Amino acid sequence: MVKKINAEEFKNEAMKGVAVVDFSAVWCGPCKMLAPVLEEVSEEMGDVNFYNVDVDENQNLAAEYGIMNIPAVLVLKDGQKKDILVGFKPKEALVEEIKALL
Amino acid sequence: MRYDVIVIGSGPAGLSAAITLKIRNKNVLVVGNAEVSEKVSKAHEINNYLGIPAVKGADLAEQFLEHAKSIGVEIQNYQIHTVYAMGSFFSLQTTDNETLEANAIVLATGVSFGKPYPGENEFLGRGVSYCATCDAPLYKGKKIVIIGSSAKEEKEADFMSEICSEVIYIPTYKEEPEVNGKVQVLKAVPMEIKGGMKADTLVVRNAESENQGLKAAGEGDAGQEIKADGFFILRESVSPGQLVPGLKMDGNHIEVNRKMETNIKGLFACGDITGAPYQYIKAAGEGNVAAISVVEYLAQLKK
Repeated sequence: MVKKINAEEFKNEAMKGVAVVDFSAVWCGPCKMLAPVLEEVSEEMGDVNFYNVDVDENQNLAAEYGIMNIPAVLVLKDGQKKDILVGFKPKEALVEEIKALL
Repeated sequence: MRYDVIVIGSGPAGLSAAITLKIRNKNVLVVGNAEVSEKVSKAHEINNYLGIPAVKGADLAEQFLEHAKSIGVEIQNYQIHTVYAMGSFFSLQTTDNETLEANAIVLATGVSFGKPYPGENEFLGRGVSYCATCDAPLYKGKKIVIIGSSAKEEKEADFMSEICSEVIYIPTYKEEPEVNGKVQVLKAVPMEIKGGMKADTLVVRNAESENQGLKAAGEGDAGQEIKADGFFILRESVSPGQLVPGLKMDGNHIEVNRKMETNIKGLFACGDITGAPYQYIKAAGEGNVAAISVVEYLAQLKK
């Protein structure tokens, strides 16, 4: 499951273990396409926490992580930024790239 | 409505694939144009197309089109912006923001796309974008540069000028751009995109602008540097790797096997886009192979 969170929840929850955070916005077409794909990925990767952050509602958080284009998938391990995957990606590619970062 | 197959490209590879798919009773749409393919129709004479010797390109193109139409192949003139691999199907977004869906895709777009600028691929998603309407809100109140390949992109520049603090529009075509007063038009040749963590500079040559401020920004032999927060590169035809996020390329071509399968399940490629030789009969042959692989794939999908 991909859990929708705000900046405050992000600081509390996403800093532990492996977190995959999808930065998106309601007006962004590719984000809408990525959402169901990421949902499927989250079902496959049970030991990873998946989150979604709306960049319009959480502009400071997006700026803090240097999000310039969306969709952007931030991968964190124990609060450390591993990488940001930018743009839509097919499911296999997402799984592969996330796994490669862990 | 979801098609069985959408074929992107109406050259020999695409039409050949569509004809075989239609014969196999698949619900197929060809996205392309009524002139078949510029490359075919502009060819002076073709001497090695089996059974049709010494044929003019324009005549061959017409025969291709008539053949396709005679068995009921539907051709629509959409511009596809992005092909999304959703898993068990594909969602295609057109430049007019329409959505098309298909269970399988045949890519037969040819090789007419331009080369990326140095730095373009490296900074894509980090200050370089291909879609103004997609990323505009991220550049609210910021300075951006738009490189437009056709007059169609002028409305994007107008749109961006409502959101951004400063918009510089660089046309890479000859006609005089008609944009609103807030957009600064700069006639120049884009050379390279540079930056650190993210793109922040566009290097151009031969800049001539009515805006004195821009011209005064420094002109040397090394080219002029334009600093901005974002760079939008808007082209009519994009390279396949951009058209289909996640598609594996082999240099400028799509990587395929002998069944014309790409690294994405359900997505096949044929014709010039898979590599040389760039021959009409090779393209048509690959279209046939791709179509038969699609038929196999669709049969599996139903199981």
